[in-house]
Amino acid sequence: MALTSLWRRTRPFDRVVVLLLFILCAVLFVVLRPGPPGRRVVVEAAGRVVFTAPLDQDRSFIVTGPLGETRLAIRHGSVCIEASPCPHRVCLGMGAITRSGEILACVPNGVLVRITGTASTGDRTEPYDLLSR
Amino acid sequence: MTSSPADHPDLPRLRRRVFLALFAALAVALHTLEALLPAPAPWFRLGFANILTLVALFCYGGRAAWSVALVRIGVGSLVLGNLFAPGFLLALGGGIPATALMTLAHRVGGRRLGPVGVSALGAAGHAAGQMLIASLVLVRHPGLWALFPFFLLFALLTGIANGVAADLVLDALRGHPAFSAALGVEEER
Repeated sequence: MALTSLWRRTRPFDRVVVLLLFILCAVLFVVLRPGPPGRRVVVEAAGRVVFTAPLDQDRSFIVTGPLGETRLAIRHGSVCIEASPCPHRVCLGMGAITRSGEILACVPNGVLVRITGTASTGDRTEPYDLLSR
Repeated sequence: MTSSPADHPDLPRLRRRVFLALFAALAVALHTLEALLPAPAPWFRLGFANILTLVALFCYGGRAAWSVALVRIGVGSLVLGNLFAPGFLLALGGGIPATALMTLAHRVGGRRLGPVGVSALGAAGHAAGQMLIASLVLVRHPGLWALFPFFLLFALLTGIANGVAADLVLDALRGHPAFSAALGVEEER
C-alpha cells in the first residue's frame, strides 16, 4: 500500500535516476571494497607516523594528540580505539578494522589508524619511514 | 490599504520573497533540529532541511533553491556556532554540489523529473562533496573512500524519503491560492 503510493509519487525520470544511482552505489561497493587482511598497524598523529606494530600480536598502546591520550588496542588481528578524549566519541563507534586499507580516524584528536601490509598498498604520498616498511 | 491585495502589481514578487524567507527560516530550523539528534556516525545525517530547498526549487526555480540552501547553511552555522569550523566546511562542501546537481537536474529533466529524482541526485552530490572535503581537509587519507559506498547508500535512502516529503509539501501547497501562480508556471514547462 505504502509502496504503491510511493511508486505513484515518482515520475518516469525519477525511477531512472534512482535506479542509476543505486547501480552506481552497487558498483562502488564492489570497486572500493576493502582489501585482504592486513599485516601492520600504522598510527599517525597530526599527519606524522608515530607508531607502527604488527597486527598479529595483541597489545594496547597510547597516542597523544592535542586533546589528550587516545588508547588503541590490537586484539585477534584487529585494531580498535578503546578510549578517546574527543567530545563525540565517533572514533570509538567506528569499531574494529582488520583489512588492508581500512582506517579509523579521530578527527578532533588528530589520530589516524590504518592498516597496511599487502602488495596492493603501495601507498602514494605517505612518507614511509624505515619502521613502517 | 488603498488597493485590495489581489490586484497589486507587485504581489507575485512580494509573495515569492516572503515565502522564500519562510522556506529559508524553516530550513534553518530543521538544520538546527537535526544537529541536536544523535547520529550513529558523522555524515549519517537525514538532510531534512533539503526538503525546503526542493520546495523552493519546484515553486520558484533554481535561484530560489540556491538562496534557500546558502542561507540555510550560513544562518544554520551561526545558530549552531560552528561557522567556518570543520562542520561548516562539511555542510558547505555537501550543500554546494547538491544544490548544483539539483538545479541542473531540474532544468534538464523539466516536468519528467520530480522531487524524488532531484532529491536522490542532490543527496548523492551531498555525499560526494562531503567525502571530498573530508578526504581533502579532515582525514587526508585515500582509505576514507572505502566508506563512501555506505554513505552513498544511506544518502540515497534519505534522499528518496526527503523527495517524497517534498512532493507531499508541494501537493499541499498546490491547493493553496497563494501558490497557484508559482506552481502553475512550473507545471506548464
